[in-house]
Amino acid sequence: MGVSCKKHMLKFDPRTELLFLVLANVVAFTQHSLWVEITWVVLLLLLIIACGCTKAAGRLAFAFGLCLFLQYYVFSNGPKILASSFTILVSYARKVFPCLIVGTLILQKTSVRELMAALRRCHIPQGLIIPLSVTIRYFPALKEEVGYIRDAMKLRDIHGIQKMECLLVPVMISATTTAEELSAAAVTRGIENPVHKTSMVEMKFGVQDFLCLAVGVVFCFISVTAG
Amino acid sequence: MVEIQDVSFAYEKEQGTLSHIDLQVGQGECVLLCGESGCGKTTVTKLVNGLIPHFVEGGALTGMVSVNGMEVADTEMYSLAEQVGSVFQNPKSQFFNIDSDSEITFGLENAGVAPEKIKERLEATVSALKIGPLLGRNIFSMSGGEKQSLAFASVYAMNPSVFVLDEPTANLDAEAIDILRRQIMQIKKEGRTVIVAEHRLYFLMDLIDRAVFLQDGKIIRIFSGDEFRGIPEQQRIRMGLRSFTDPVMELPCARPPGTKDGLSVENLSCAFDRQTVFEGISFSAIPGEVLGIVGYNGAGKTTLTRCLCGLLKEEGGTVRLDGKTLNRKQRNRACSLVMQDVNHQLFSDSIWDECEMSMPEGRAEEIEKILKAFDLLEFKERHPMALSGGQKQRLAVATAILSGKRLLVFDEPTSGLDYRHMLGVGRMIRELAGHGCIVLVVSHDREFMEKTCDRIFEMDGRRDGNG
Repeated sequence: MGVSCKKHMLKFDPRTELLFLVLANVVAFTQHSLWVEITWVVLLLLLIIACGCTKAAGRLAFAFGLCLFLQYYVFSNGPKILASSFTILVSYARKVFPCLIVGTLILQKTSVRELMAALRRCHIPQGLIIPLSVTIRYFPALKEEVGYIRDAMKLRDIHGIQKMECLLVPVMISATTTAEELSAAAVTRGIENPVHKTSMVEMKFGVQDFLCLAVGVVFCFISVTAG
Repeated sequence: MVEIQDVSFAYEKEQGTLSHIDLQVGQGECVLLCGESGCGKTTVTKLVNGLIPHFVEGGALTGMVSVNGMEVADTEMYSLAEQVGSVFQNPKSQFFNIDSDSEITFGLENAGVAPEKIKERLEATVSALKIGPLLGRNIFSMSGGEKQSLAFASVYAMNPSVFVLDEPTANLDAEAIDILRRQIMQIKKEGRTVIVAEHRLYFLMDLIDRAVFLQDGKIIRIFSGDEFRGIPEQQRIRMGLRSFTDPVMELPCARPPGTKDGLSVENLSCAFDRQTVFEGISFSAIPGEVLGIVGYNGAGKTTLTRCLCGLLKEEGGTVRLDGKTLNRKQRNRACSLVMQDVNHQLFSDSIWDECEMSMPEGRAEEIEKILKAFDLLEFKERHPMALSGGQKQRLAVATAILSGKRLLVFDEPTSGLDYRHMLGVGRMIRELAGHGCIVLVVSHDREFMEKTCDRIFEMDGRRDGNG
């Protein structure tokens, strides 16, 4: 949440990010050339590095490299059984990477408000946007909860399979009360108001949006036709 | 102007009723709703902000409630939202956004206010409530007090003429309560109506114009501000109300480290996420003693309790029990923590199972004895979640005792409790100490600490630390 370093980084319109998610999917599931795929992943990684997700990019790059290493070195040189049981898993995992990368960008660099405003601009119905935004908001809260519950389990000396069961009960209970309180707060702040909602977030396509989208679309076109 | 005329209400699922409530609150008035837990004060706030009848399902409502001439039952929640702003008890569950700026503007965006106008309101809110430091923050990195301040600001931004506050200080420390007091003072100065349901009263004493005392869903008496302030101590206690003055703690400091009998913490340092939270902490606590741990939000109280319970490794220093150094694992076995939200630590589907789980080879008589001592035996087949808050807390303590733990740490055991329940928790803690346990209590509740603790250890660690 560093405010000071924000200026130096590339910032996209949330709609561009959503479009990129679509493009990432199209490319991932239409092309069959390894080199197209690697170039696409590298391009996307560079993109999110420019946006400031350096750490995440590093992790994703490592994981992608690992997949390639497994598939093209370990599986072809190692025992047959390894290849036949894991090839499908690994090659599908690899396919998901472009989406993962764009997803990381959206989760790390786009606030819920921006995303909601973008979805509203795209005329997605309100009935879909509200549950979606509350879900996103719930994940960090869930993480906090699970932290407390794990502490409690350590003190009660609960181990093994019992742990799973013991985690679920308190999480469910707190989820229901949280949901109840959250919706009470929501209705008292007028979430049900049918008027056209506004947003303080200024949304404008900038040069960077057009440029990146253009590159993306061209790449997409090449991969569909060449693949 | 808020008018409640001969209103009776009964919940369908929960306990609690209101009968024949009559109350008029003029514009600009600050009215306190007080009384023991379950007296109906929260229910009255729900009549005003429209949660009854619009949000609470079922229930039988008669009578009429109106706010600024609008009848609540016939007005949509979103129209009411423009007139009535609500701040609730739990700072954690009032947010829809992950960043603070979005949260402040959330209500205005819902109402479709033009972006330039929103910006104006945001700036006005920041300067009126002095919340500059809260801007541009991640909500999950905020303390409870900061979250409550933000909740107040996001309601203020919508510019309502009536504020309804439902136990807003239940989870706040003294400093945060003072900030809230100043915020209420500000809205009062601006001529807004304030209706506040509270247990903790000292911070409201010079703000209230009237006080409504409720019992079993009925208004027993409406006091004027001066009448209320003039209530003698004995009568206040009979009414079951919390202290009217900010309690001063005059307890001796914790014993110096090095005791051979009990807990000795020597030069302890802890870090969280590679950042030092506190350094060089030393004190002792002997069996039979209740030691209170106080300090501002961020002084490291939570980190200290987690470290003592062996949930976190120390950076330096030693923790001894009866002169023997304990490592993290050993502390884990010797200590127990009663959490602020006990729901996090009850796992079984009956009270009996919950106890057996803590004592797998335990004898039935032993469990029975403990359950009896904690007034839980008659509920032994019940699901822990069907218990009241106080019973859950006692069950958590019972399981700790059954697993043979000697050091018990309580984290905010009295948040949101009325006078009588607070005394109850205090009695239980004194009894535990009487049976030879070492009890540590982390709390913001000075009235409770003054009554319960023998000694006090004050943490004044770095203010910017995390929890």
